[in-house]
Amino acid sequence: MTSTHVAAPARSGGPHLGERRKKDVYRRTMARLGWGFSAPALLVIAAVTIFPIMFSVVMSFSNVNVLGSGFQIDGFTLDNYSIVLTNSTWQYALVFTIGYTVITVIVEIILGTLIALVLERLVGGRGWMMAMLLIPWSLITVISATLWDYIYDPIAGVATQILSVLGFGHPVILGSPASAIIAMMIADIWKTTPFVAIIVLAGLVMLPRDVYEAAEIDGANGWKTFWRVTVPLLRPTIALAVLFRVLQAFGVFDLPFVLTQGGPQNATTSLAILGYRAMFTDLKFGPGAAVATTTALLVVLGCLLFLRVFRSQVSETEM
Amino acid sequence: MSSRRTTGGRIGLIISSILVVIFVMAPIYWMLATSLKTTAGVAAAPPQWFPIPISVENYVTAFTQYDFGQYILNSLIVAIASTVLVLAFGTFAGYALGRLPMRGRFTIMVLLLIISVFPAIALIAPLYLLMRNLGWLNSYQALIVPYTALNLPFAIWILRNYFIGVPKEMEETARIDGAGPFRTVWQVVLPMTLPGLFTAGIFAFTACWTEFLMALSFNSADAFRTIPVGIALFGNAHITPYGTIFAASAVAVVPIAILVLIFRRSVVSGLTSGAVKG
Repeated sequence: MTSTHVAAPARSGGPHLGERRKKDVYRRTMARLGWGFSAPALLVIAAVTIFPIMFSVVMSFSNVNVLGSGFQIDGFTLDNYSIVLTNSTWQYALVFTIGYTVITVIVEIILGTLIALVLERLVGGRGWMMAMLLIPWSLITVISATLWDYIYDPIAGVATQILSVLGFGHPVILGSPASAIIAMMIADIWKTTPFVAIIVLAGLVMLPRDVYEAAEIDGANGWKTFWRVTVPLLRPTIALAVLFRVLQAFGVFDLPFVLTQGGPQNATTSLAILGYRAMFTDLKFGPGAAVATTTALLVVLGCLLFLRVFRSQVSETEM
Repeated sequence: MSSRRTTGGRIGLIISSILVVIFVMAPIYWMLATSLKTTAGVAAAPPQWFPIPISVENYVTAFTQYDFGQYILNSLIVAIASTVLVLAFGTFAGYALGRLPMRGRFTIMVLLLIISVFPAIALIAPLYLLMRNLGWLNSYQALIVPYTALNLPFAIWILRNYFIGVPKEMEETARIDGAGPFRTVWQVVLPMTLPGLFTAGIFAFTACWTEFLMALSFNSADAFRTIPVGIALFGNAHITPYGTIFAASAVAVVPIAILVLIFRRSVVSGLTSGAVKG
């Protein structure tokens, strides 16, 4: 990546001084051109991300007074963080978001890998199956959340009907904390497992065939081959799927916003829901910014930790 | 591997394939079936398994009683404009970062990667204040500008990887023929990286089409609502008109379904190239 591209390699004669200088000038011109080419993109990105991130951090360390027509930043303080960190709703949201992320990602990876293994064996129709798997991925989350809300409806819901046929009475699925959390996880697992399946399937298809032949000659059975050959070879693919699913799940907002509004009794209040509510419902911009900043910090730390652990595997596939 | 050859293995494969189809498609069937039910059918308990009698009243309501046509138009304007900008800026940036001898390219690429996974909640409040100060709340640019910026990092990564794969001799030839840098990118390099453009384009479009948090925060006025916001704010606090929502949803799925089916290969290659936002 850091290797530089020199334009025309000088083949004739030795490295004449004039020629080298000409090459230097050319390189500098090309570098300047590169900055010119990247400038529009980098400026837009900086304006929309870097400036707000810095502003968020400043706001989280300030007394923010909301006035009728706007707000006013008034002096340095650590109050926002002490308000947030000692708040039981925030503590619960942190635990909930981490638990939700860990459980859904584990289930999605297992189910997604199983689906990928099925599809890998299919001879015909694999293309159509892949197209089908893309449907939940491309569905607007607000739509899938509304769909699951209807499925969980206490009167007309299919899930309610099935549970009552199975002898669970007439449960209000989204009405109690435990069942609401499970219901939300199921909705998430349905939408994102196909996405994991596609990534794993693509990884499976690219595995070298000769390793399997060698395993077969050694007399390894299917199960042994799967654990000793397939899983180790798939690890980089699965690592990437985990990384992106974890980051996405950690910022979960659309699904609880529509399905449960963070309830019942804050049971499904994720960090993103909490931050949004603090800023846009309660107009507490200081604490809201503190929630946003701590969430962002956790994401960046998680990212760095992940890159440390899986550095070799990520760099293999990505850089 | 050996199960492929036995009859038992084949039956097991067929059964598990059917289970996969049911897992993915049952909720989709339920959405479509509900959209075709009458109002009484939607609220029926126990639920009707099939939409009998079939009714299109939900579709009529979505477009007459609610402004769903306007929401679709808003979503199309925002998503298309953002995608075009992402591809235009992303092409030149991706080419420069992949091919031109700039110092600090590696740092920039890593920064872009971090930005592309940053939680939107961390940006939303300052962006909201910025939009308000600019007088941009409830406007198309309030979404086009952030969508462009937030989808650029991924597009740059994808396009850069494609540009690295273009043989350098092609550019040399173009340069010797007297083509300037813009023309070299436009006429020589770009045509060779069309699959990368499709991939980057469909990812940007899908992300814009489905984005909710910013659309909800910046454009909540009826005239500028995109589809997700329109659907989330359908009905009122007491009644959720599921039939109408699913009719609208079925219509909203069409553009993205067409794109996904046409560019299936591009989507899969994008998903598997590692950097993914969903």
